Amino acid sequence: MSLITALLAGAIMYAVSVLYAGIGETFTERAGIMNLGIEGIMLMGAVTGCLTALKTQSLALSMLAVMLVGAVFGLVFAFLTVTLQSDQTVCGMAILVFGSALSGYLGKNIASTPINLKFQAVKIPLLGDIPFIGEIFFNQNILVYIMYIILPLSVFYIYKTRWGLKLRALGENPAVLDAAGENVFAMRYAYIIFGTVMMAISGAFVSLAHTNVWQDEMTAGKGWIAFALVAFAAWNPAKLALGALLFGFISNLGSNLQIYLPQIPSEIYAMMPYLVTIIVFIVSTGSFRNKRTDQPAMLAKPYNREDR
Amino acid sequence: MKKKILSLLLAAVMAVSLAACGGSSAATQAKEEPAAAEAADSTAAEKKDVKDLVIAEVHYSVVEDGGWAQAMHEGLLRACDELGVDTEKNLLTVENIAEEDTALVESTVDTLVDSGADIIFGCSAGYATIFAEIQPKYPDVIFAQQGNDVYDNIVEMQIRGYEGEFLAGYLCALMNEESDQLGFEASMDEASVRTALNAYALGAKYANPNATVQVIWADSWYDLDIEAANAEALINNGIKYMGMEASSPAVPQKCEEKGAYCIGYNIDMEANAPGAVLTSFCWNWTPIMKDIIQKTADGTIKISDNYYEGGECSKLAPFNDALVPAEIQDKVNELKSKLESGEVVVYAGELKDDKGNVLVAEGETMDDEVILAQEFFVDNVIGGKN
Repeated sequence: MSLITALLAGAIMYAVSVLYAGIGETFTERAGIMNLGIEGIMLMGAVTGCLTALKTQSLALSMLAVMLVGAVFGLVFAFLTVTLQSDQTVCGMAILVFGSALSGYLGKNIASTPINLKFQAVKIPLLGDIPFIGEIFFNQNILVYIMYIILPLSVFYIYKTRWGLKLRALGENPAVLDAAGENVFAMRYAYIIFGTVMMAISGAFVSLAHTNVWQDEMTAGKGWIAFALVAFAAWNPAKLALGALLFGFISNLGSNLQIYLPQIPSEIYAMMPYLVTIIVFIVSTGSFRNKRTDQPAMLAKPYNREDR
Repeated sequence: MKKKILSLLLAAVMAVSLAACGGSSAATQAKEEPAAAEAADSTAAEKKDVKDLVIAEVHYSVVEDGGWAQAMHEGLLRACDELGVDTEKNLLTVENIAEEDTALVESTVDTLVDSGADIIFGCSAGYATIFAEIQPKYPDVIFAQQGNDVYDNIVEMQIRGYEGEFLAGYLCALMNEESDQLGFEASMDEASVRTALNAYALGAKYANPNATVQVIWADSWYDLDIEAANAEALINNGIKYMGMEASSPAVPQKCEEKGAYCIGYNIDMEANAPGAVLTSFCWNWTPIMKDIIQKTADGTIKISDNYYEGGECSKLAPFNDALVPAEIQDKVNELKSKLESGEVVVYAGELKDDKGNVLVAEGETMDDEVILAQEFFVDNVIGGKN
């Protein structure tokens, strides 16, 4: 495998590990809800995946359990923020701390215990044999392939369907939807739960595809990167994927450049992803561009029917 | 209004359950032992039964971290077992005590002393300053701290990790018949990491005078992605055998996936990647901790004591028999006994750094202070920082 294919294949692994959570957060924020608890829910997904895999020896059952746990967290968060209209920042932080502490507690006895199964890379027949492209894109694990399907579907859903239009309206002006007879609360519940399920899958990707163990706090900030990428990508899943790939590519780059360009201190490589993030942020959202931001207008504002 | 009350209630429930989860280990294990506490009051430097000692350990993370803390915790458990200390009753484990949070460390120590602790093990170097400061307040309690010999009023303990790493480098160079190039995966640029890397390189050189070690830095103590990417970069550069000073099993697993081999770190990692881990470098704190506990019971411990041990403390896990041929195992074991007898010294002259300066002249050996605070890279390391 050449340097560039290794770099790109590594970038895809990295990208997918934050993309599930990122797409989840995109839908949640499009619905006008800001969920800051990504990292906590990812950790819950990661620990649930490992616990179930150890008990049942089945990846399918593990993913089912992971999604279920994600959904439970979504339900709690939705109840707090939609029904009770509590402050979303505070609730998000609560979910974050709660999830990371609870996952540490649940995983106490299985920490660092290797599980003898994980999502292995599977080569797709024919496609996987294409030189270069095949090695990068079609020699990955099944969660990556599922992402290849989810990604275009989510773009299509948001921009090309009636449901997507309603979703965008939900974040921009829920009162209009309410007036049109749509159930704003049910929709927000659904998108929050979809979001947390995706976040939990991201966590399971880290514990069951990246490695095959649970370690305390193992997502190591990926939830925050996903959160930042959502705004970075202007709430567009396609741009989100590009951002995640860029981030993954640059973080992988340092490993190889250390060998080829040893005169540059490796700390420079370590800070490059963040440097690039700042630059792209300035270029894409800086006020000098003087364009309308894509941020949902009602993001993080609870909808209350009686407020007029 | 009703909704507000309900949301407050929910938040309260969450906070309570959070506290219950986070503090569970401390809460359940740190229960008061009145009998032991009394014993501690009445007999300061007197001899007492080791089974009556209350032993405490303070960790910066959870003990099941798959790395440093786990190695220390397991070392202490074995020491207690061998001495017949009832760990259910007389071992207090406190986790997640941030080193930089001095107020938290201090209140933790207060609580532990209140709970009757006779010995407090600080399992991360960062506690040393605070322990040394608190010690006069509790002259009857022995503070045993992982770290270098800096303070006179706390017992310090350190392992000569370089001995095990030297063996690891030797093993890899013996295995690596087709090339002179080895790899090393390093975390942060810090003296203890340099020590591991340099010893690994020196061990490789001992087996093969032409051996070089390409190091690659993660610049992080824990990062699954970077560690895996670094391993892959080494492998793509034709390196088949690597050592590591990294915490996650990402390196062994990447090696297994790509047909390369490595030495596990901190704890035995063979189960994580049975097709790639030749053996693992393991911290073994048991002999040191056992000695401290026994001497505390006998009343013979001196608080200015300092342990800096190699041998059994700095050991390799059992070899992976499927990967390491018997004759190579024998050679490594032979070198191990030579290290123990002093026939072979790791940091002995002539030793040059990667810029050509002579660090140790022919026939001399390096002082412990220099070994502990290494600021150099030995001459066969490629990619050391400036």
